[in-house]
Amino acid sequence: MKRAFLGEFEEVVLLTVAILDEEAYGVTVTQEIEQKTGRAVGFSTVHTTLQRLEEKGYLSSRMGGATAERGGRRKRFFTVTAAGRKALAEVKQVREELWNALPPQTLQLMGG
Amino acid sequence: MKTATKPPRFATRLLKTFGHPDTSEEVQGDLLELYDHWVQTIGARKANWRYIVSTLKLMRPLAQSRYNEQYRPPFSLSPVMLRNYLKIAWRNLMLHKAFAVINVVGLAVGLATCLLIVLYVKHELSYDRYNAKADRIYRMIIHGKIGGKEISTAMSSVPAGPALAHDYAGVEAVTRLNQEGTFIVKHDHESFKEEHVAFADSNFFDIFSIPLLKGNSKTVLTDPNTVVVTETIARKYFGTQDPIGQTLTLGSRGLFRVTGVCADVPSNTHFHYDIFGSMRSIQLRETWFTSGLVTYVVLQPGYSADAIQAKIPEMVKKYAGAEIQQLLGMNMTEFIQKGNAFGFQLQPITDIHLHSNLEAEIEPNSDVKYIYIFSVIAVFILLVACINFMNLSTAGSAGRAKEVGIRKVLGSIQRQLIGQFLSEAVLVTFMALIVSLGIVVAVLPSFNLLSGKQFDLSALTNGWMLPGIAIGCLLIGLLAGSYPAFFLSAFKPVSVLKGRLQGGAKSGWLRNTLVTIQFMVSIGMIIGTMVVYQQLHFIQHKKVGFDKDQVLILHDTYTLGNKADAFKAELRKLAQVQNVTLAGYLPAGVSNGGTDGFQPDNGDPQSTPYREKSYYIDENYLSTLGIKLAQGRNFSKAFPSDSVAILVNEAAVKRFGWKNPVGQRLWTVGNGSPESHRLYTVVGVVKDFHFESMHQHIAPLVMFYGKDNYQMALRIHTDDIPGLLKTVEKTWKAQSDTPFAYSFLNERFNRIYQSEQRVGELFSIFAGLTVIISCLGLFGLAMFTAQQRTKEIGVRKVLGASVTSVVALLSKDFMKPVLLGILIASPVAWYAMNRWLQDFAYRITIPWWVFVLAGLLSVGIALLTVSFQSIKAALANPIKSLRSE
Repeated sequence: MKRAFLGEFEEVVLLTVAILDEEAYGVTVTQEIEQKTGRAVGFSTVHTTLQRLEEKGYLSSRMGGATAERGGRRKRFFTVTAAGRKALAEVKQVREELWNALPPQTLQLMGG
Repeated sequence: MKTATKPPRFATRLLKTFGHPDTSEEVQGDLLELYDHWVQTIGARKANWRYIVSTLKLMRPLAQSRYNEQYRPPFSLSPVMLRNYLKIAWRNLMLHKAFAVINVVGLAVGLATCLLIVLYVKHELSYDRYNAKADRIYRMIIHGKIGGKEISTAMSSVPAGPALAHDYAGVEAVTRLNQEGTFIVKHDHESFKEEHVAFADSNFFDIFSIPLLKGNSKTVLTDPNTVVVTETIARKYFGTQDPIGQTLTLGSRGLFRVTGVCADVPSNTHFHYDIFGSMRSIQLRETWFTSGLVTYVVLQPGYSADAIQAKIPEMVKKYAGAEIQQLLGMNMTEFIQKGNAFGFQLQPITDIHLHSNLEAEIEPNSDVKYIYIFSVIAVFILLVACINFMNLSTAGSAGRAKEVGIRKVLGSIQRQLIGQFLSEAVLVTFMALIVSLGIVVAVLPSFNLLSGKQFDLSALTNGWMLPGIAIGCLLIGLLAGSYPAFFLSAFKPVSVLKGRLQGGAKSGWLRNTLVTIQFMVSIGMIIGTMVVYQQLHFIQHKKVGFDKDQVLILHDTYTLGNKADAFKAELRKLAQVQNVTLAGYLPAGVSNGGTDGFQPDNGDPQSTPYREKSYYIDENYLSTLGIKLAQGRNFSKAFPSDSVAILVNEAAVKRFGWKNPVGQRLWTVGNGSPESHRLYTVVGVVKDFHFESMHQHIAPLVMFYGKDNYQMALRIHTDDIPGLLKTVEKTWKAQSDTPFAYSFLNERFNRIYQSEQRVGELFSIFAGLTVIISCLGLFGLAMFTAQQRTKEIGVRKVLGASVTSVVALLSKDFMKPVLLGILIASPVAWYAMNRWLQDFAYRITIPWWVFVLAGLLSVGIALLTVSFQSIKAALANPIKSLRSE
């Protein structure tokens, strides 16, 4: 099978959704990324990435119940699919393998 | 969480309108929630800003949302798709090699023919346009009517041009050319015969854009006895020496000093002189009533030829009136009252080559008719080739229907399929173009020979030709591919894949129509060719009234002077020479004859003179040429009175209305001087003979007895012509230092019909090509039908059909369009050829068997073409075709 391909931002979004578990929707994902990484992300970027990940089959979504604070609009909750988990695992594995392959002196130079 | 601040309303509305409908609900919700958050964390102003930016980015055209959207095919003309089209097209061609070859070869032959015709037509249309002032130069021609006879000659009177320039505004310049015939040109003991010598006014090189390589265009021809020669002539006489200041002896005109060298006269011009002498070297007869030289008038910009021409009658009255009075004894008013006319017309110089056929043209001109004929033929041939292409493609559609079905099911849209088929067609066209360029290069030498032109490859590559050809090919490809493209791409995938082919019958109908058109064109051209050849055969073998075979003509015998008679006597002694004559005119050739005015001696000096052809002959003329006497006697040395005797032909007898011609008397009206006004008596009448081409009726002719040794004709009787020529040449060399030149009467006679001969040959080649291309298409179609009907043929054979019946079955379908083609083409061809024949004074009536023969020929060729495939199909083992089912 083809290896999972994840862009860097896609990876961040996918991980965030995994972290938020049941509570992942547009706003929470955006805020979580802002908090955890300290980088300002636009909502539209997050939104399109979420959609793209769903197209790729790494996320699935369902509509939640309506809430008054949003003017009666429902939320779309995202959950990581099996394929998404596998993709995350693969990415992590690749990273680890690469880290492990680093010669020790390089590691020291990098301050690791 | 409640806040007082609200996000900008227009942004919300924008998002509602342009956001993606599938996600609008949650997106709007999320944004509202975030807005609250932003307001609390970064302030209302910044929150508003973020909100607006987010909504804009989420608008459908900008956002990358692809929810539920279908696969969007790439743009049909994107480079990737084009490459894909070409790749598939190439594979398809390779899959059906036979069809590819038929298509490419058919188109290539058609294109090559077209290219050659384009070269030819382009060259013909370019005549005299090299002149910078081409649109303002006019030739002044004489146009009039004297003695009931229309006169239109390319020459005009010597003083006419200068008078026009002097008297009327709007004339920028006038220049004149005078041809005096052939000169024997000498330089350093070497002499050559030069046929293209003219005398020109000093401003000639200012008016005609023939560049002077040496010398000043303002001064070259101002002094008497100066010449300008072309580059070629300069090299011929002076080699590498500087020609300026050198001298040439022009026959009896004496020594001429070279003052300039001009470039060779372009091939696309109506005169091709090599040597231009200054006009001041020759004496001009300043008379109005005789045609002298060619006059060109340059109008000032903004002046119309019509306006100038309207002034001409006034000018003629002013200057020529006195001359008419002196010559004819009547004034201008009486002259016109008697139904006569005399005037000049301005003819655009660019019209000369294609639209002018006057008396005394400098060179025989072409005819615009041939341009039309050839253009039509080019279009026809291309049409036939394109039809082949369309036919083969539609015929092949059955085989490709499945492909179309599959492609459509896999998501191709019709636009892409059209692109696919069109690019296939264009690919084939450009392959054909490359092949056709090869063909053109290969046949160019033969084409030059045939057309009498000198084309080289630069004619193909210069200017707009190459891009024009490329665009033309693209259009042809698109045109030829259009039907299959739109027809095939419209297939419904479901019915195609189920095996139901829609539109099959319809395409068969179209195919038949196209084949009919092809054969219409082919048959029309076969008929045309046969008629042209019939007519050529007719005029070449019609009794010309004299015996044109075994007559040797020696040129330039006038250079012998008074030694001519001795030379004649010496030749007469040769055993192979039966008779010798010295004469001013021989049929079908350069003449020293002319036209004279004659008045019957009926006591009316006021009667308008007849202008008739006349020339001088000796007593051996009739017997040498084999011309029969109808009445009276030939000239004879035994009658001293024969110096005032004349012979006339039967046409002249009719013209003068004589019952008993012998003994009738005629006054000559020369230039009005007393010595040219003499009384002659008719001593004999010769039977009419064709002394000019058969385009004209035999004109009245008057022959004087006299010493004109312009050229010599020998009736010979030998098989060893080279041997005789050697002997004659030796005799000539002993008498003269002029180059020995000769020709044969029958050859000269045939040369009159050279243009018809050329048209005939080209026509037959084109007809042959059309037939070949049509048959190529038919061959391909037959191949296809046979392939498609393999199963049917198999079943028939298994059930007991004979090979003959199967062949008949397959051939029958192809005969219908061919027969229909014959039916339609015959009347059209008859009409067109009848129009062509109208140009001949003596012409055939188109024989009925031409149509039958053309019909049989085309049916035969078509049958032959088809039979190969049908016999192959009929002979095939039915097991092979039926096993698969």
